[in-house]
Amino acid sequence: MTAVGTPAPRAARVTADTSAGRAVTWLAVRQVRRGATIVLVLVVGMSAMVATTYASTFTDTMDAAALAALAENPAIRTLFGQPVALDSAGGFTVWRTGTVLAVLVGVWALLTATRITRGAEDAGHWNLLLAGRIPLSTVVMRHATVLVAAVLLTGLATATALTTAGTPPVGAALHGASIALVGVFFAAAGVLAAQMLPNRAAASGATVALLSAGLLLRMIGDGVDALGWLRWLSPFGLAALSRPYHDNRIVPLVVLALAASILLTASTVATAHRDVQGSWLAPRTGRAPRLRLLGSIPAFALRRLLRPLAGWTAGVGAYYLLIGLLAVSMTTFLADNPRFADLAVQAGFAGLGSVEGYVATMFALLAIPAGTFTAVRIAATATAETDRQLTLIYAGPVTRLRLLAAETATTAAGTVALTTLAGLATWIGARSAGAPLKLDAALTGATNVLPIAALCLAAAIFALGWLPRAVALVGSLPAAGGFLLQVVADSTGAPHWVGTLSPFAHLAPVPEVAPDWTGTLGMLVTVAILTVTGAIGYQRRDLNT
Amino acid sequence: MDTFAIRTEGLTKRYGQLLALDTLDIAVPTGSVFGFLGPNGAGKSTTIRLLLGMARPSSGHARIFDTDARDVRSAHRSLAYVPADVALWPQLTGAETLELLGRTGPGVDRGYRNELVERFALDLSKPGRTYSTGNRQKVALVAAFATRAPLLVLDEPTSGLDPLMEREFQRAVAQARERGQTVFLSSHQLTEVESVCDRVAILRAGRLVEIADVADLRRLHRSQVEVTFAGTAPQLTDVPGVGAVERLGPARLRFTLTGPPAPVLRALATADVTALTVHEPTLEEIFLDYYDEVAR
Repeated sequence: MTAVGTPAPRAARVTADTSAGRAVTWLAVRQVRRGATIVLVLVVGMSAMVATTYASTFTDTMDAAALAALAENPAIRTLFGQPVALDSAGGFTVWRTGTVLAVLVGVWALLTATRITRGAEDAGHWNLLLAGRIPLSTVVMRHATVLVAAVLLTGLATATALTTAGTPPVGAALHGASIALVGVFFAAAGVLAAQMLPNRAAASGATVALLSAGLLLRMIGDGVDALGWLRWLSPFGLAALSRPYHDNRIVPLVVLALAASILLTASTVATAHRDVQGSWLAPRTGRAPRLRLLGSIPAFALRRLLRPLAGWTAGVGAYYLLIGLLAVSMTTFLADNPRFADLAVQAGFAGLGSVEGYVATMFALLAIPAGTFTAVRIAATATAETDRQLTLIYAGPVTRLRLLAAETATTAAGTVALTTLAGLATWIGARSAGAPLKLDAALTGATNVLPIAALCLAAAIFALGWLPRAVALVGSLPAAGGFLLQVVADSTGAPHWVGTLSPFAHLAPVPEVAPDWTGTLGMLVTVAILTVTGAIGYQRRDLNT
Repeated sequence: MDTFAIRTEGLTKRYGQLLALDTLDIAVPTGSVFGFLGPNGAGKSTTIRLLLGMARPSSGHARIFDTDARDVRSAHRSLAYVPADVALWPQLTGAETLELLGRTGPGVDRGYRNELVERFALDLSKPGRTYSTGNRQKVALVAAFATRAPLLVLDEPTSGLDPLMEREFQRAVAQARERGQTVFLSSHQLTEVESVCDRVAILRAGRLVEIADVADLRRLHRSQVEVTFAGTAPQLTDVPGVGAVERLGPARLRFTLTGPPAPVLRALATADVTALTVHEPTLEEIFLDYYDEVAR
């Protein structure tokens, strides 16, 4: 009481306020630093590697003119974006890695945004923090700022690496900025969704849907000349429109930066007017029970699968419908320009001249969403264990193996459904555009990626048994990591054996050719080993309840 | 039916260097209500995780009735569990959660479940994420009691309940006992343990320090006795079991009594005692005694 009104305590309080804010920032840094480092190393490493090995790629395989001609193919444009400066190391790097890396940074930024804001808030981690003197809006904004800083740093490091690799600094800066701004945009979108939606899964789902829509708009814009303006509506399209190493346009990036700042401002406003653990779109507080699919462990696993599967199917289905629709524009293009078909064959893209070859190339990509889907489902099981939702199930007369078998079987069935529907969507798209694609060819092509998805599922089960904290990461490694490895190996002229480590090297382009049964068998043996080892680990370890 | 619902022999759990549980030997008789006490970090939850097969013992073993605790498919057919910190599936309503646990658990008495829902005043239409701590606990309690499993393992089941609900809980435990169910109750609420338990085990730093019937515990411990007398004070020196004699006033005495009261009653008979009060130790006092002793 004696201290009231004396200057000393007031001075002490000011110091405490700043250090409290700093402590929140440090908390956010601790939560993102590991992921941020991995993303930074991947982005910088891949960009630098492709840029420095550009010369050898070209002299070894073909001349620049051939590559440029090939890249005019709408299928390739749809996949990797419009090539604008393939005659330079920088332009080639942007074209070859730009979209992949922007998607990587965007997905990481949005998942991290919802994890460290809505996820931490939902789990009650913020209750003690917010009982202190720091308001909710400050806590959210400090987390957002740290995340934005992390992606900006990634962009800066990419630009520096590309400049060091000898590419023109202006192009390098523009490309670094576009990768960073895509990251900032999706981090901001994730933070905003976390303010609007009542839980982390919903916020992540909504932002992933936004990212998929952005990617689709970019692809339509790049693939169909008349719809090129659609790219102005997509973060990926805006990044492409900046045309680094060629026109070096800054306006699209300014638009992207403005859009990201609007999202950030909106999330500040949204945060200021809501309750802690509340949201703008509140969940219903009561409803009649829906007792279907609660009768057994497999039924309940199926019940939990259905909603995420619907989301994944919608996204993947829309993508492959577009692939199907584009098939005809590609065939027309090649019919009008027979020289390009020959060049494509020379370049190793043997099948791109036919509809079946084109969809086969596109179906290889399906392994990434299909594999990630399996990893995410098994990761959800690991999360339900650590969040203790499974505790009461574990206390019932159910062995862990039965639980794991139910999760594995439903996930596998979901993956088969996901790939089959992707094949069906491609067929519908192709047929409605008038392309000659048979239904069974589309379905075999789509389900041909199942061995890679099974590898992801098995890797996730292995992680559930031995590394339960890293299930999603380890599980998505065969698909996402394998794809990155193949891109790096192809683009840098790495030794042959490096490329064969990727499961994609053992995936035949079906339906253009018959499935690679030896490769499939090899993958399935690996699947069996990983699954059994993982199941043993899961059975023996202590549960994290 | 076996004579013991739970039996552990040399049950030990190490986490790296940390010895969480050190050669625990306990036997919980069938049909009893068994209190499991100890301060935070004493190893109570570790023991329960081992009993439920959620963690593997470093050595020793535990049996649930006649089954090894690690054989969860058989062992869990005869038990129901309420965790200390209940987490529900956020998207399932209370009714859906009860349905899931009823259909995947060891069986359920639906009539009794509906009665319990009424008694615990539980709103089953809300999704799991909107329940408060106490309501989540109530969902788990209703699910566990409604199973009619012969063994109920309850880990701090009332920490989030209000006094009215706590009374319902004690009623449900009493009914379970009447039906012949065994209750293994880990708790910090010593008055609750005292009112419902027949037997208690006290754990400290991973070791069992006492296991006894509640009545025996009392007998083994000091009671407080106060006497008011007319005339000369009773002679209490050298009376077996008497200690800490205190003069509270010209005609009042207080002393502690351990063991049988016969000698002190004979000594008091020689004086003109006008009032006598005996205060038996509460479980809380006994419990604190153990820790003071060990701390000293």
